[in-house]
Amino acid sequence: MRIAVGFKVTPDFEALRAADWARVAAAADAEGRAQATRYVRRVFGVFDEAALELALRLRDARADDGLPTGLAAFTVGGPDASPFLHTLQALGFDCLRVDPGGGPASAADTAEAAGALDFAPAATAALVAACARQLGADILLLGERGGPGGSGTVPFLAAEALGRPCVTCVTAIEPAGADRLRVSFRADDGPVRALTAPPCVLAVGNAVVSMLRVPTLKERLAVRDVPVTQFTAADLGVDVGVALDRAPAVRSLEPVDRSRAGIVVTGATAAEQARALYEGHLRARLEAL
Amino acid sequence: MSLSREAIVEGLRGILGPEAVVTDERVLVENSVDNFRKLQNIFDVHVMPVPAAIVTPTNAREVAAVLTWANEHGVNVIPKTGGTATEGGLESAVPDSVIMDGSAMNEIVKIDPYNMQATVQCGVPLQVLEDRVREHGLTTGHSPQSKPVAHLGGLVATRSIGQFSTLYGGIEDMVVGLEAVFPNGEICRIKNVPRRAAGPDIRHIVIGNEGALCFITEVTVKLFPYLPENNRFLGWTLMDMKTGFEVLREVMVGGYKPSVARVYDPGDAGLHFSHFAAPDDCVLLFMAEGAEGIAKATADGIQAIVDRHPECTQVPSEYIETWFNDLCWGPDKILAEDERIRQTRNVNRTTEISADWSSINDIYQAARQRIIDEIPDITMMGGHSSHSYINGTNMYFNYFFNVVDVGPEEETEKYYLPIISIIVEETLKRGGSIVHHHGMGKARAPWVRDEYGSSYYMLETLKTSFDPNGIMNKGTIFPI
Repeated sequence: MRIAVGFKVTPDFEALRAADWARVAAAADAEGRAQATRYVRRVFGVFDEAALELALRLRDARADDGLPTGLAAFTVGGPDASPFLHTLQALGFDCLRVDPGGGPASAADTAEAAGALDFAPAATAALVAACARQLGADILLLGERGGPGGSGTVPFLAAEALGRPCVTCVTAIEPAGADRLRVSFRADDGPVRALTAPPCVLAVGNAVVSMLRVPTLKERLAVRDVPVTQFTAADLGVDVGVALDRAPAVRSLEPVDRSRAGIVVTGATAAEQARALYEGHLRARLEAL
Repeated sequence: MSLSREAIVEGLRGILGPEAVVTDERVLVENSVDNFRKLQNIFDVHVMPVPAAIVTPTNAREVAAVLTWANEHGVNVIPKTGGTATEGGLESAVPDSVIMDGSAMNEIVKIDPYNMQATVQCGVPLQVLEDRVREHGLTTGHSPQSKPVAHLGGLVATRSIGQFSTLYGGIEDMVVGLEAVFPNGEICRIKNVPRRAAGPDIRHIVIGNEGALCFITEVTVKLFPYLPENNRFLGWTLMDMKTGFEVLREVMVGGYKPSVARVYDPGDAGLHFSHFAAPDDCVLLFMAEGAEGIAKATADGIQAIVDRHPECTQVPSEYIETWFNDLCWGPDKILAEDERIRQTRNVNRTTEISADWSSINDIYQAARQRIIDEIPDITMMGGHSSHSYINGTNMYFNYFFNVVDVGPEEETEKYYLPIISIIVEETLKRGGSIVHHHGMGKARAPWVRDEYGSSYYMLETLKTSFDPNGIMNKGTIFPI
């Protein structure tokens, strides 16, 4: 069984303090999105990170059953993805990077093109599907949503392009014999655990396992000279030119206000505080249920 | 004959009343360790002796009463405030210890903008004091990474240092006076004066005592003008730490006082600066602050020094300012780190030492290489220098490892202590100090005689004189 995981490297806007947002917003206004994110370190997309770890755990579980599993990971982007690909190589993934610029583009052009793809899900999905074919993936594993600009439609569109079924909101994946998987996912009416047979596309959502393991220095050194396979969009037979031309330009960026009103419950003892919480804030709601 | 657990609790309730004596088993278990054995709390696997109680006195007289009683009955007392210790100083090394938590003593006694000093009780969080003095256009100048959580008593007790130390100094340069209570119940107040030559500076018996000599109840610290509008940020990438140390030395010898002066090795730089530094790059950075003319002159002087090193490539100052704005660790980051450890079993630890300019690079190189070669499952081995002086600097080793094939309770023995041991050995070999600012705690106490050499006589005499019954924080600074 061969599993390919598509991932995206995104700016970690969560790490930006309020004071820095003004700078990011001003840079977005003046120079465009790619330049605006130069102040921000990069991270794996959160759902992508979960997908990568689920793939590793599935490989390990299958190995315990004596079943071989090939792992590959791919991303669409510029050289700033290199440290992430190196990490994945050290963890045992074959790695592929697709330059969306389509030729000998500068790093800035590549970054700008990758940024533009944030708002071009159909073109992104075409590239993702092409990568899955290139890598010979039985299972295509994706995060259900990318970083900034993520529409959440790429898994569906990629599955359609590949002509494969798509399971979304995946929270866990377990082996079920040599050729099948037991997939847990959230449906409208609650959690579901079902058998799935490849080929398929699995879009990982709010999985309990959400963080990628860390390779040791020795594992990193062992793959230091292993090259990452690189393709352009054209190499994969995908024309993203029109999509890039039509991609909306980012004119401004601003943080989402996630602040919530808070009330400090007071009381001299824990019992008094609990009583104040219940009487003042919970009782009426519970009785209304 | 030692008191039973029940008798200890009863005795404490008799002194402070039942409300000030915590005996909830869950709380006690969680307080049996500090961040040195943080995996025990993260994974809820506890093997350390459980304290008998936590007491929360509200004034120096109550502290004195408890200490007098404990001294009489031979009960081990562990002083504590904010609880951010990283070296085992708050661990209960022996059964039925009493944790004396000063966090209820949390009054800001006086802010004196004319004499530029503030007096606070030991349980005032540094962030609270900093926010209050900012209302006066002032700052404490003290900004350890733990600022959102740490309290003034603990910061003084552990001889803390802040991220702006090159300008403002360590806590020992800020404390002008204090009040402390000794095991015999003596309440001592050291008055607040700019300087005096009336014998030895007895503040230094208390500053850094780590609860092994006395309990600090009140401190008075200096204040400084807060002028963030003048801050200037400078940053460079470079290829090796040796050059970075050399630039830091030239800046210090040149008489400049940037508030922040740091050089990161590639591993550590990768954690903070990967959006502009290549994987093999070191990062050198400075912040100049103060009055406009001083900040400008400092930044200009540093710029001229680094310009003499063409191997350094300047980066936009905004990169450094953005990093600076996200320096401190509040509860949100601590919780996020705990969750990451829980899922990945990848643990981050740090160990800091200091040495003169001649030795620091050799210590860094030797310790780093030995750790990579000798310790299994290392995922990152790096570090940075962050506190410089005219005669030398510190090295803050920052490292990660995967905890493999052992339980959380064995992590310190399999990984952390062997790493500390290597760093300590390489530091002592070259004449450096094995602790720059975290304190000895219990983690580095085994090397206390090697650290002090012939001056250990003086240190030991302090312990035997002030705490002859050995009831103050057993195992901290002085190994059991």
